[in-house]
Amino acid sequence: MDTFGLKIIASDKVFYEGRCRNLVIPAPDGEKGILPNHENMIIAIAVGIARMEIEEGKWQEVAVGTGFVEIVNNRVTLLVDTAERPEDIDVRRAEEQRERAEEQMRQKQSIQEYYHTQASLARAMNRLKLAQDKKWNL
Amino acid sequence: MANIREIQSRINSVKDTMKITNAMYMISSSKMTQARKKLSDTEPYFYALQGEISRILRHLPELEHRFFDVREKIPQDERRIGSIVVTADKGLAGAYNHNIVKLEEEILAKPGIHKLFVVGELGRHYFSKHGVDIDTNFQYTVQKPTMHRARDISAVLLEQFEKGELDEIYIVYTRMENSVQADAEVLKLLPLERSAFNEMKMPLNVHREAIELYPSAEAVLESIIPNYITGMIYGCLVEAYASEHNARMMAMKSATDSAQDLIKELSVVYNRARQAAITQEITEVCSGARAQQQKK
Repeated sequence: MDTFGLKIIASDKVFYEGRCRNLVIPAPDGEKGILPNHENMIIAIAVGIARMEIEEGKWQEVAVGTGFVEIVNNRVTLLVDTAERPEDIDVRRAEEQRERAEEQMRQKQSIQEYYHTQASLARAMNRLKLAQDKKWNL
Repeated sequence: MANIREIQSRINSVKDTMKITNAMYMISSSKMTQARKKLSDTEPYFYALQGEISRILRHLPELEHRFFDVREKIPQDERRIGSIVVTADKGLAGAYNHNIVKLEEEILAKPGIHKLFVVGELGRHYFSKHGVDIDTNFQYTVQKPTMHRARDISAVLLEQFEKGELDEIYIVYTRMENSVQADAEVLKLLPLERSAFNEMKMPLNVHREAIELYPSAEAVLESIIPNYITGMIYGCLVEAYASEHNARMMAMKSATDSAQDLIKELSVVYNRARQAAITQEITEVCSGARAQQQKK
């Protein structure tokens, strides 16, 4: 099977650089799959879980923040503000983050603040969702 | 010649000060190593983001977006200009704060209604004393810059920009050229300028591939630009943090060096004074003894 070059850049590190067979990303309106020789495209990414197939049948899950993916000439660049493996997620911290966001949601706040907390809550939920599948992390 | 005890106490006080400056030097140097690491970790994201926006603009030159809106209808002296000023939380960093303040005063001298967003305690004190309009809700420290803080700052600014409370946004920070050179710099954050992104000229014969934007160009820009602003602010905060500690490190190093020179000079003076006192005492004893002998 064909592969394509994949580079995942988060704001604090280059998360992954290498070949990939299949990539599934969370777009604002649902998941999108990218196979080799995809059409040139730029896709916005919402907070969610991306999956990449590096070797056949071996899927790696990544919790991603907002950003976008760019596909040009069979090279894929994923630019997101955060990217984390399930084993790197600190469940307790994510739990605290969720509680804090929920607390703030209950209080009266401006629309801007509301969006801000909402985004924060989405990130926390996303982390927890990915970490929950790996129970040993708890 | 000064009193021996006076010189002694002077030497001791210089030594005590030197201990402090030396400790601050070591703290700053370790903080700077961390900041440097952070800086090199962020750089790929920072530059890739800039490259991407320029690529999108190149492919879609007709794109109109509210973040590109220059609002040229508003006359020069009615434009609301916001500037983020990144200073240190305390002094003792050579000319670091002074350079930033000087640069900001240049901006303040230009026509327009100015509003400051000061990051760092020292700048806040300075500008509030000079009667400049400061956003008082904007209380952020410069210590240990995080993505979270950058996100907060950019949310505040984007909100005011969209509401029309600000027409132009600048950031004044110190960029680290290399370990000895750091320059205060002004960067325009909003509105985005096309020319700033078009620096990379493409040769004419290169095939320009068509890129589709999904779900739409607006949606993609909507997700990229706030990220880009946040990334820019984060990058600037990290740069400023690294240069602050670099400046403090150098200032403390020269303070320690001059303290050492001072101690050296003072101990020469001290030894001379001590020697003089001993000589005088011997002379006194000798002449006393001689006077006794002559009496006999």
